[in-house]
Amino acid sequence: MNLRRSPLGFLTILLAASCLWGAPKKKAAKAEAKPAAVPAAVATVPVRSLEDRPQIWHLWTDVEGRKVDAMFCGLSGDIVSLQTKDGRNYRFSVAVLSPEDREFAKACAGKQQGGFPRSVVAAAAADIDRIVEARLAAEGQKPNRPATDEEFLRRLYVDAVGRTPTAAEAAAFFADTAADRRERLIDRLLQSPGYSLQMYNWLADLLRAKDVVGKRLPAFTFEDWLKARITANAPWDAMVREMMTADGRLLDNGAAGFLLFDADMPLDGVSNLITTFLGSNMSCAQCHDHPLADWSQRQFYEMAAFLGATDMKNESMLAEVRKLSRADSGLNKNFIRLLGEINATRLSDASANRLTFPKDYKYDDAKPGEPVKPALIEWDAGDAKRQSYAVSTKSPALLRDEFARWLTSPDNPRFATNIANRVWKKSFGMAVKEPVDDIDDVSAASSPQLLAHLTQVMRAARFDLREFQRVVFNSRTYQSAASPAPDLSKGPYLFNGPIVRRLTAEQVWDSLVVAAVGPTADNILLRRGDDLKPMALPEGKISVAAVKEAAEKMRGMRGTKKSAKSSSGTDAGLAKGYDGEKPQTRQGLMLARASELPQPAPETHFLRVFGQGDRLLSNSSTVDGSVPQVLQLMNGPVARLITDPKSHAVQAASLEPSPAAQVQSLYLAFLSRKPNSAEAASALKALEGGLGLTDIAWALVNTREYLFIR
Amino acid sequence: MSLHDFADRLRTAEDRRAFLEKAATMAFGLTVLPALAGAAEQASPKAPNATLPGFGKAKSVIFLELSGGMSHIDTFDPKTGASKGPADAVTTKAGFQVTSFLPNTQRISDKLCVIRSMTAKVGVHASAQYLMRTGFEQRGVIQHPNFGAWAQHFLGRSSQTLPANVCVNRPSNQGNGWFPASHAPLPILDPATGLPNTAGVGDAGAQQKRAALLSELDRGFGGAVADTNVKAYNDFYASTFELMRSRDLKAFDIASEPKSVRAKYGADKFAQGCLLARRLVEHGVRFVEVRSGGWDMHATLEDRMEDVGAEFDAAFAALIEDLESKGMLETTLVAVTTEFGRKPSFEGGGRGHHPLVFSTVLAGAGIKRGHVHGASDPKGHEVAKDPVTVGAFHATVAHAAGLPVGTEIMTPSGRPMVIGNKAAPVAAVFA
Repeated sequence: MNLRRSPLGFLTILLAASCLWGAPKKKAAKAEAKPAAVPAAVATVPVRSLEDRPQIWHLWTDVEGRKVDAMFCGLSGDIVSLQTKDGRNYRFSVAVLSPEDREFAKACAGKQQGGFPRSVVAAAAADIDRIVEARLAAEGQKPNRPATDEEFLRRLYVDAVGRTPTAAEAAAFFADTAADRRERLIDRLLQSPGYSLQMYNWLADLLRAKDVVGKRLPAFTFEDWLKARITANAPWDAMVREMMTADGRLLDNGAAGFLLFDADMPLDGVSNLITTFLGSNMSCAQCHDHPLADWSQRQFYEMAAFLGATDMKNESMLAEVRKLSRADSGLNKNFIRLLGEINATRLSDASANRLTFPKDYKYDDAKPGEPVKPALIEWDAGDAKRQSYAVSTKSPALLRDEFARWLTSPDNPRFATNIANRVWKKSFGMAVKEPVDDIDDVSAASSPQLLAHLTQVMRAARFDLREFQRVVFNSRTYQSAASPAPDLSKGPYLFNGPIVRRLTAEQVWDSLVVAAVGPTADNILLRRGDDLKPMALPEGKISVAAVKEAAEKMRGMRGTKKSAKSSSGTDAGLAKGYDGEKPQTRQGLMLARASELPQPAPETHFLRVFGQGDRLLSNSSTVDGSVPQVLQLMNGPVARLITDPKSHAVQAASLEPSPAAQVQSLYLAFLSRKPNSAEAASALKALEGGLGLTDIAWALVNTREYLFIR
Repeated sequence: MSLHDFADRLRTAEDRRAFLEKAATMAFGLTVLPALAGAAEQASPKAPNATLPGFGKAKSVIFLELSGGMSHIDTFDPKTGASKGPADAVTTKAGFQVTSFLPNTQRISDKLCVIRSMTAKVGVHASAQYLMRTGFEQRGVIQHPNFGAWAQHFLGRSSQTLPANVCVNRPSNQGNGWFPASHAPLPILDPATGLPNTAGVGDAGAQQKRAALLSELDRGFGGAVADTNVKAYNDFYASTFELMRSRDLKAFDIASEPKSVRAKYGADKFAQGCLLARRLVEHGVRFVEVRSGGWDMHATLEDRMEDVGAEFDAAFAALIEDLESKGMLETTLVAVTTEFGRKPSFEGGGRGHHPLVFSTVLAGAGIKRGHVHGASDPKGHEVAKDPVTVGAFHATVAHAAGLPVGTEIMTPSGRPMVIGNKAAPVAAVFA
């Protein structure tokens, strides 16, 4: 093993640290038992990281000569994203731009990519492998065999673009014999439109993105904001900072949604954000001292005090609207109240921190009803000395900003580790520290060294989740054959390879949609937040006329609201909100990718049956099986969609010259591999026996292999 | 063409065996094989609790799961003084009090046994719901089964073609725990839709051919990979083929109930779920969970009790009365469960989470009628008398359903487990 080939200082030192793992098993075990939060050798390493990406403002011209001043946010396939000065985000086909600006957009995309050089990716990935393999060796285990091209292809498509490849995409990869074909595929997929769609699905589950908050408050603006930021490949720390420091109405500022989802229960909101962004399990401490971890109820309240001056409801606006709803205006009172709620839900900072200890506070360190002074939690004795802990609590109006600065700092003891651990799980089916919602004790990770290394990579990538995943995908560990679900009662799983995973609900759906209509489905983009903006009422000037005007403008939106309740997910009102290509409706299903359908989908929709979460709690999705899922795949509208002779996969197969080539095309389309000789023989025999290509498609979709990545 | 003709076409003996095994569960055109009918997976040892009162009276069990944390003080355990909520206490004909939020429940009070001394330590929704559903705290890597899976393990299936375990208005969430996927609850996400897609695509001949092709093409991954999650899907496919043949599918169709009955329950999802539960139990399903959401009343408690609370009240009373009028209450145990109670202090229009003391209700199948078990202190803050843990609650239900409480079983990873986590049934609630 050549330990010195790494081009970067930090990686070289990491390698030195990882040499420890070559030591005899006993020594390794001892090192492991040390309760150090982050191994010292790694924590002090100098990090050479990605540069900040430049903001590019430009006066854009379209093919008809119209001009708009906007910031370039990203180019994903043929879709360009721009943000205008008023903060609105636009996504449209690059073909709309003048030829010069088309070129300019491409040049911007090149400048903005600013990723790691390939050599750095390779070295950081090799470090993952060395750490994993040394640990496996110490435990007398071996890595799994390398994944075949077929296994790699399917896994990478699902992880990078959220769906399985089409037959043509699979065939193109298998025809590529260059030695760097896997690296190039990784780079290409990470820059393609599907990347943003699958990241949205993953983040929507984590951040609880939903169309409607509570009973009726529309929250499309949060979804639009999240999509725009993902398309721009905004770094994670910037996104979290934007969510934490957002001001104003949800109506105008989508980023405000994250905190406003808990407007009725701010303490639950604090406990949720601490778990989501720090992997710290303080939720028990909300009611009493944590029985297992060290957190006390006092510490929870001290953290919550950073949001103690954050105001989520505009009470004077609500009062105005209430007055109007009581007056005889001839307007529907329910509508007026909804309008009031939409306008009053906003984030702003009050001049005083109003949080007090609860009436039933029962510990000696504070009195019930006493005001709470903000204070940050520490995981290790030295944490308080960290530069990130230098926060000012003097000005209540700035408490939230100060908290966000600490929270998202690369120097925060858990912020980088939390997101690195979660993103790792996304690709491997298991986190290094499980459960991901409780990483307070990082020494209890299955491999603290691996977790420390991933933390370093995340920091070096400046929280660019795409670059982080690029490193992970390039590792030999990721490119190994998958393991069956491990029995964790026998010991921790040490990543002999990824774990055999069932596709998530979104991944199954998106794969089926693309099999039905082809990869153009990746270009169907939904945007609905703008529909809400005309509903903004001027504060202090709420009148019957203003409400009437808003009601007029809102009419178009009602169809959307209704569609969120219909079980099929089809509605003309919804189709209005699509940029670029419009989705088709077949078998009562709107054929757009999961990220571009109601959030979450209606509860009897295919997506929900396969475990899409209700988005009420973070990470509410599931991947366990059920009979209704099987009924969907065997007999449901989706089964009919796939077995339709007009489906993209069946059509592509039917164009092949021979039955054998047709069968192969279907295998590529559904299982991302060629059939073996027995399978080919069975399928050909079935064709001779009166079954058609649609029946073979049906059978392939119903194999266990279809639902799993290995 | 019979299944055996099909099998004969397969080349090797192993092929034929594998195919027959699968085909047996698909069972196109065959009568149900005896091995698939009711028998338990393991010969159940004689239950140590078999001679105690109330044993095995419940042929079926319905869990009404009030998700979010029902405020005990605003429902089944009214308080005066500082703890009092927006509704007044009303004395029922059974002699105990409930709040005026539950007018219909008052009517059936003489059929209920209220447990006012439930106690737990977990105040976080997900973990507390897990505890209430399984009887075990969520710890480490093990996934515990719900009650229906335990019952299926000890007693076998409850119907030849219908599942023994169904959950309504909620996902299955691996309710089978460490038991095979055939023990998992079948989720019905919308009771009005019931169980859609039970009719195959195309005619019976095409279906049969396709199914045969599927079993051939699935032999590689579905057959060979030793992954528990893949095997679970093998089970789900087997169960689905079987269910498609069932003559009892109308059990899932609440539209065939008379309008007057449907109206009595209510039009909301929880009410429809309760009605579906009654139909399922009637057709031989042993265990049904029905979830009612929206009980996390931090704010606007009064509004939400008038909304969510009223829906529960109407449907619960309708369910009990419906079961009684059909003569099914003697053999059906209905349990009102929730993950925790809510704080005695009323702040910001609602109450916070409070696991220290809360209430549940049992009714039917050998349970005392018009009875209150245990008590909270005058504030509703902690247990004053006869604490009941969630484990004991599960042991009680298990006893009523005729399960051997105290009998150890081994999980596949070799851990000994006892239903109710070794707690004893609460003998005092049995008549």
